[in-house]
Amino acid sequence: MNMRLMRTPSAVEVAITGKCNLRCLYCSHFSSAADVPEDLPTSEWLTFFEELGRLAVLRITLEGGEPFVRPDLPELLEGIVKNRLRFNILSNGTLITDELAAFLAATRRCDSVQISIDGSKAATHDACRGQGNFYKAVQGLEKLKRHGVPVTVRVTINRTNLEDLPEVSRFLLEELQLPNFSTNSADFMGVCRSQADKIQLSVADRSRAMTLLWELEQKYPGRITALAGPLYEAHDWLDITQAQREKREPKNGRGHLTGCGGVFTKLAVRSDGVMVPCVHLCHMELGRINRDDLGEVWRNHPELTRLRERGEIPLSDFSFCADCQYLPFCTGGCPAVAYTRTGQENHPNPDYCLKLFLDKGGRLPDVHI
Amino acid sequence: MTATDRPVANPLVVLREEFDDWAILFDPDTGHAFGLNPISVFVWQRLDGKHTIPEIISEMKKTFRDVPLEAENHLREFIDNLLENGLAGYEFQT
Repeated sequence: MNMRLMRTPSAVEVAITGKCNLRCLYCSHFSSAADVPEDLPTSEWLTFFEELGRLAVLRITLEGGEPFVRPDLPELLEGIVKNRLRFNILSNGTLITDELAAFLAATRRCDSVQISIDGSKAATHDACRGQGNFYKAVQGLEKLKRHGVPVTVRVTINRTNLEDLPEVSRFLLEELQLPNFSTNSADFMGVCRSQADKIQLSVADRSRAMTLLWELEQKYPGRITALAGPLYEAHDWLDITQAQREKREPKNGRGHLTGCGGVFTKLAVRSDGVMVPCVHLCHMELGRINRDDLGEVWRNHPELTRLRERGEIPLSDFSFCADCQYLPFCTGGCPAVAYTRTGQENHPNPDYCLKLFLDKGGRLPDVHI
Repeated sequence: MTATDRPVANPLVVLREEFDDWAILFDPDTGHAFGLNPISVFVWQRLDGKHTIPEIISEMKKTFRDVPLEAENHLREFIDNLLENGLAGYEFQT
């Protein structure tokens, strides 16, 4: 499947800091290749935002680390606004003050601030994110809402909050009256790798999470979303099993490594200014901002080309996929987890393997599509 | 003060060129995006406060082959749409 390449990325993800005030047990940042000691000074980021403006990049996502640890965040946001960009911020929510929330609202350029909330109560949220942080995160969210800043919530599902999912949904959608929230699950990245057996969902947990989320989706139609994790897997895998059963023609691109199209639309930058394909592929260094031309890197870097061509690699090339009845319908999943699991980006992600999941006793939700 | 007859693009709006000379106009204040075909891109690039609409049409006829008779109406409609959406305006002169 050939996809055409835009002259410049439409969006850029920037880790404006590698520092964070929390030490979450499944943090994908610390202990990964993104965990670098240096944070760029304000002036470097402002120069970079000028380049983004010149290249007609439309959106920037600020992340870290924790973006709100930077005292110069308002100055950075002014630079973003000046260069005609819109922005999102990914945050743990604990450092958001009224003053900052008012500042964000006044920019009129904030698409959303995404706050991580993993539980309906302190005990669940704080189990992985540290004591006292549930109340701080909820307070941060309330401040944003009060000032009219668009706010979203991401729930990272893990062993400690699995059974809290119905209450989490009630808390976020009914009590806090959010329009929706998104879910994923603790992935085999960063800190999580060293304690995966305590944090990551087991096969039985994933089955349970899928069933719970499927039921919650019926209760709150259209208000729980996922681009990864058990809810996404439930939808994709039920579709795959049905397509296979009905001997349907596979959809375009399936049967190849087409699990992620991010490299066709966006680029990422580490907190030390090194350009990378994605915040989760930080070991792939492509150049440095304000030294290397971003447009040139985007269009011509051989590592990006290699990732963009992964969609042409048939899953049948991998012994891992041998004899899999679902092969024609599979995408191979996320290249970043494929890398942390196998050491190769251009490999199917074993954690996204339906056959493996079922062979280990996994069960999909009992539904009739 | 009176408005000039030379339309001017809103300098806050981003022209992002994509494939085959197509482009999108992006208004960062609203997040709205509008698709432009190659002729609209040509027109947008001449909304500089120096060109009148007849001058833009004249340049268009020199640049593109087989410009239809109704092109002038289409161009005026296009500019009216830009004006309605706050993507362009007319400069005032004292």
